[in-house]
Amino acid sequence: MGVLESRTQIIVREVKMNQPGILVFACKWCGLIGADAAGKKRVSLPARFRVISVECAALVETDAILRALAGGIDGVAVLGCHIGGCRYTNANHASIKRFELLKDLLDTTGIGGKRLLLSFGTAHEYHQFEEIIKNFFDELAVLPPLDPWLSPFGVVS
Amino acid sequence: MANIVVFLCRCFGEIDNTIDFDLLRKELSKDTSVSSLSIVDSLCLETDIEKAAFKINESKADRVLIAACSILSRGNLPVNGLIKEGMERHKIGLVDIREGCAWIHNNDSDGAVKKAKDLLNMGISALQHKEKSEDMSVTVHPDALIIGAGPAGLAAAASLAKTGFKVNILERANAPGGMLRLISQLYPTGEDAANKLNPYIDEVENNPLITLYPQSKIVSIEGYVGNFTVQFASQGKDNSIQSGIIIIATGAKIFFPTGLYRYGEIRNVITQMEIERQFLKGSFDVKKTVFIQCAGARNEERPYCSTICCPASLKNAMRLAEEDPGSEVFILHRGIMTPGNVLEKYYRDALSRGIQFIRFEEERPPRIMGDDHVESVEVYDAVNGITRKIETDLVVLSTPLVPNDDNARLAQMLGIEVDRYGFLSEIYPMHPLETKMDGVLICGSARWPVASDQAILQGKAAAMKAVSYLRQSEIAASTLSRVPGPKSGHARVVPDFCTGCGNCVAACPFDACHLEKTKGRYISKVDMMRCKACGNCVSVCPNGSMQIPEHNYRMVGEMIKWAF
Amino acid sequence: MADSECIHNRGKDAVLVIGGGVAGITASLDLADAGQSVHLVESNSHLGGQVSKLDKLYPTDHCAFCPLWTDIKKCMEHPLITVHTLSHVKELKKESGEYSAVILKNPHYIDEKKCVFCGRCVEECPASAIHSGWEHACPPSFVIDDTTCTKCGDCAEVCPTGAINIELKEEEINLHVNDVIWATGFKEADLSHLKEYGSGTHPDIMTSMEFENWTAEGGINKGEIVKRSNHSVPQNIAFIQCAGARDLRMIPSCSAVCCMHALKQAGWIKRRNRTIDCYIFYTDLRTVGRDYYRYALREFEGTEVKLIRGRPGLIHPLPDGDGIAVQFENTMTRKREIRKFDMVVLNGNIQPSLIQSRPGRTEKMAIPPMDKEGFFNTESDETSNFACGFGLEPADVAESVIQASAAAMGVLNKESDQR
Repeated sequence: MGVLESRTQIIVREVKMNQPGILVFACKWCGLIGADAAGKKRVSLPARFRVISVECAALVETDAILRALAGGIDGVAVLGCHIGGCRYTNANHASIKRFELLKDLLDTTGIGGKRLLLSFGTAHEYHQFEEIIKNFFDELAVLPPLDPWLSPFGVVS
Repeated sequence: MANIVVFLCRCFGEIDNTIDFDLLRKELSKDTSVSSLSIVDSLCLETDIEKAAFKINESKADRVLIAACSILSRGNLPVNGLIKEGMERHKIGLVDIREGCAWIHNNDSDGAVKKAKDLLNMGISALQHKEKSEDMSVTVHPDALIIGAGPAGLAAAASLAKTGFKVNILERANAPGGMLRLISQLYPTGEDAANKLNPYIDEVENNPLITLYPQSKIVSIEGYVGNFTVQFASQGKDNSIQSGIIIIATGAKIFFPTGLYRYGEIRNVITQMEIERQFLKGSFDVKKTVFIQCAGARNEERPYCSTICCPASLKNAMRLAEEDPGSEVFILHRGIMTPGNVLEKYYRDALSRGIQFIRFEEERPPRIMGDDHVESVEVYDAVNGITRKIETDLVVLSTPLVPNDDNARLAQMLGIEVDRYGFLSEIYPMHPLETKMDGVLICGSARWPVASDQAILQGKAAAMKAVSYLRQSEIAASTLSRVPGPKSGHARVVPDFCTGCGNCVAACPFDACHLEKTKGRYISKVDMMRCKACGNCVSVCPNGSMQIPEHNYRMVGEMIKWAF
Repeated sequence: MADSECIHNRGKDAVLVIGGGVAGITASLDLADAGQSVHLVESNSHLGGQVSKLDKLYPTDHCAFCPLWTDIKKCMEHPLITVHTLSHVKELKKESGEYSAVILKNPHYIDEKKCVFCGRCVEECPASAIHSGWEHACPPSFVIDDTTCTKCGDCAEVCPTGAINIELKEEEINLHVNDVIWATGFKEADLSHLKEYGSGTHPDIMTSMEFENWTAEGGINKGEIVKRSNHSVPQNIAFIQCAGARDLRMIPSCSAVCCMHALKQAGWIKRRNRTIDCYIFYTDLRTVGRDYYRYALREFEGTEVKLIRGRPGLIHPLPDGDGIAVQFENTMTRKREIRKFDMVVLNGNIQPSLIQSRPGRTEKMAIPPMDKEGFFNTESDETSNFACGFGLEPADVAESVIQASAAAMGVLNKESDQR
């Protein structure tokens, strides 16, 4: 567990930088295609975001989002395919509802539903990805940074 | 700690002109899990992969991390190349530092190198915690099962038997032929329906590879592609068949429009199928006929076009006109649906034969006048703006085909879906005969109303899809993916932690989870042949006992920690 | 004259699939999955055909490239499929049940296997002759446009992997195959001789595919709807159905796909900009396939696309250049009107590509019999054994794919007959 503590300290140090950090979960189809296209077009985006690619947005657990937020990451974006377009027969259908519920929960608990961005079917072109990320950065910039000591081990489990 | 070899690809300067590789090298050298770090010009050309494989063998490394371009670009090439050289897929990690880093942050080299470092750290921790899913193989029964012996089912059976596969057909009626037996002549050629049907029936009776079970009723369907077990009763006897694939060709049902246009209330208001029956008996004498299209279709209860009713009306109208040149035929319609070249020509032919077409609107349908038998039809001609009264001896209602009553039950047994109208659902958009259950194919009017020529085409097409399954001696579950390449894994449950809540059973779109009683309590079990690793079960599992090993919670948690 | 480099290919069980659109790809994959080797010939630099140019698909509103991308990748990676892009069939002779084909392959100056997509060649090229191929190709690569290339060789010098060879010449490949499947698809036909449609008289009178590219999410304008003449937002757009089709002067048959296509385009215009009025001028709204009628209802009830039954008699740019006059009779009200539209989309003028390229049946090209419109003769059952997609009959994606699988089955069964 020593690794975890040292990592948490590193996070605390870096969170004190003034730019918000975004973690993007992108489904390998609609989500990643947009990110990729933006790269191929050499669009310039701010560097403080990391992308984790998943097979389907349904694979993104609530736990993972909460851990990210609790660990000091300012915003989490989930990019998936549009309803009816999921390769896994509408696996994204139920997950959209789950994420929207999570957004409400984040609002209720004071963390802020704005910190969870959901884009299902609206990020697959390079200009769409660019717009979504830039807008997200702008939105998060006006919110206060999250306190990493809130719960470094994640809220669920 | 795993022994990881890291390859950093410069991409001939595309990556390292923005990202400072020396800095990366220094940072990664502090990481004890990295056994060696190589910076290369490229990793995607053939010679590169050989060199990389050699280096990996030399260093006796456990796992490999490749930092190069995106998986949607050329990043897949070294991964697949190394797999061909014998490495296991879950021991190879790919990090995108080109499209996802160098190219997209080309104006911010500090931010880019920090991001690259973080991405590499995420990749390393992902590799350390990535586990391998189980896989299973099933021996394929090289037999096909076709449910329904209408034109679609018969065509599929004939094609499969010709290819050399044994085919079993289950038919509800006591003879094959489906609805085609009830049709007199076919459009647009005018040939007798029996001409089309009989060769197929002969094939079924004479080909030793085809066995027809008439008067069948399905009791249960279990299993998965390669190994379906169907229990059924045929002619009073119980039976069970194993097959590699199932083709559903159960057709559709005829709709009786009771109450619509006074059908059932007065005489001489009949349906299209009834006029077919009349024709089958022989020609009949009628001086004036009015066909009414969309009777019970394209309305609120059935908001769909049944495809075949317009051409069928044209066919029967032209036959009436031909048999008695003095007769008058009217077709009242809301738009004649004859797309394409053959059918559009058919429509022009009908026009040139003197068949009269009157367009009416949905809000003002025609009215049937008469006391005990039809005398005339009153219709508002929407194009000419006048109400017409057409004297007639006969009114023929063009009714839609409707889904079979037991479609829902059949779909549930098979694990497939029905659409909002009740027809069997397919996978959009380029696989119209395949369903969400591998090995279950749909064709003919069970899928969507079609005429016999289309049904036969679909039967052949479904047979083609079946061949690719049946010709394999074994099917590995990992090959049943919807994407190029194998599946990313299978869901796996840790039995000791599973509480048996059943969330996964409800959430899985492929019905791959079910609860089994083990040691006195219910535990979830994953059917790998059905699982597509979409992750729904993982997300709804309350305590994390369901995971996908290649993307487990520990791996994700570590990746998040190292993200910034 | 081409330097012919003959590659004799005794592919004893090979099948030649002509056309790499949706139908050709499906037929190839089906045959290859059944153990047949396939040679797939495509004239474009990438597979995908007309569907790769589409923005969305009906009736599900999927993005067109995503499902296509998967099947194209499977095609390119399949060990039994040899894909020949930038190629066409020069000769096709039938001899005692087999075919001998000569495929003319135009050079890929940039080797797709070696191109790492760095883009240095694009920067270096003085004639701007290099552009990205299909943007969803995986792996992506650049393509040199032969018509503008000056053969200076600057690109080859900067290419880090040596992927560029501008000295490459055309190649002829000789093949012996057992069967041929025709999946040649459709092309848009020129409407300029039907003067009433005004085709080519105003930048804002466009054909359906031009409009698709103009308004596509991934297209030139990134999904924004603007006029081509002055880039301002149009107030209204007219979609003219049956332009050239169901017309004895040009295309007597119904092109089957255009009604749904127009509904889809109009619906998406409304979704992106509610203020633009969309009018579809139709004769019969053909919504025959699975879920199509409900899709149509959704567009004109939900998104308020307006329908006018009537085929305009005159489409003419207004004298000041601002706008286009459309003169029509609304057949349901019997009123004649002239209305000003900002943009006009002509839909319906699609024909089988073979009739456009008119190779003609000769000794050297054993094309199956076609009717006057270019569709393969569908009198016999046999045509479904070798033709699929729009070349067989007007068909949308679902139909084409079904026909392709049936054609593949026909070929396979024919093989087992001969064995």
